[in-house]
Amino acid sequence: MMFATQIIPPLAILLGAAGAWLMLPRGAARGRGVGIALMAVALGLGASRLPYLGGWLAESLFLALAAVTVVSAIGAVTFRNPIYCAVWFGQSLLGMAGLYLLIGAQFLAVATIVVYAGAILVMFLFVLMLAQPKGRASYDRVSWEAPLSAVAGALMVGILSMAIGGALGQGGPSNSPGRPLAPPSQAALVQNVLAPQHVVRFGGELFGRYAIAVEVAGVLLLVALVGAAVIVQQSQPTGDDNRHE
Amino acid sequence: MNSEVALLNNYLAVGAVLFGVGLVGFLSRRNMIVMFLSVEIMLQGVSLSLVGWSRFHNGFGGQMFVLFMIAVAACEAAVALALVVALFERRGNLDIAAWHGLREANQPPFREKPLPEEPSDRPQALPRLAPAGARPETPSEDVDYRPEI
Repeated sequence: MMFATQIIPPLAILLGAAGAWLMLPRGAARGRGVGIALMAVALGLGASRLPYLGGWLAESLFLALAAVTVVSAIGAVTFRNPIYCAVWFGQSLLGMAGLYLLIGAQFLAVATIVVYAGAILVMFLFVLMLAQPKGRASYDRVSWEAPLSAVAGALMVGILSMAIGGALGQGGPSNSPGRPLAPPSQAALVQNVLAPQHVVRFGGELFGRYAIAVEVAGVLLLVALVGAAVIVQQSQPTGDDNRHE
Repeated sequence: MNSEVALLNNYLAVGAVLFGVGLVGFLSRRNMIVMFLSVEIMLQGVSLSLVGWSRFHNGFGGQMFVLFMIAVAACEAAVALALVVALFERRGNLDIAAWHGLREANQPPFREKPLPEEPSDRPQALPRLAPAGARPETPSEDVDYRPEI
């Protein structure tokens, strides 16, 4: 029985890699349905090894939101039509916002929807409308080394999950070996991160301790604005008389 | 396992999976915009981990990190999409392989394997009539119309 539970995470990662390879666009090759089935089995196996959150409501909410996020991310990566990729990415962002809400980061949930799904995604769609040729281009129908990149992703997920298991396995994370950090109590959480006046606390921290970072972020946004304008203007074809006025 | 530790574990696991999915997309896709979307998915995975740690440490540091990451991601999207538009105007497509001239000196050039034509989704079932009379002018809207993108 012990052997069976230990074999599940590597098996899930291997199945996920095979599923990702089959789901990626590979020209005329078949097997996309098999890839979806393999990926679903892998995600189910992985989810079965997650620890119980201590409440059926929290557990089911987390599983539903995580499923929406991860499945939409996989869709955003594997669909052939880039418009569909962008739409799946938007759905993944909605799942992310739900996960943020579940853990108590209310402001970030709203910021994700407003900034990511509202602004960045629309910018993606604008550029796609500008630049996408008619029909499905050949470069959308075939990918680079699909098996190799699936193996690279599987290695990454494997290493990260091993690191998570090693850090959290012995009773919790620790700064020094053998002395796990005490997890926060509910009373302490309500005092600070889960305070009822979340945005008040968040804003106080943002404009108190991180005020200089806010200024730097403002400068960075201005520089990016100017830089984007300069890049687009310089790419215009030369010979335009109005350009040097 | 304590429920807070379990919550942290679950969020880190989902963040790791998102990072891996984005990595696969970035390495394998050839459309520049989809590559960029994959990078955003990797960023989302990291954000999820940071927010999980923020809850565990009962402080706002991780959430602040994520807020600034969103700001930097907005800047990055603006500059990168401007670059994509500039590259598109030079080559006429979004294929990253069109820029294989930037490869390392000892690497072989990229050669595209020929793909079979994709079968059209909508079969052309229009009736064929014998041509008669003067040829009508086609409005420019019909010429430029694209039924799908």
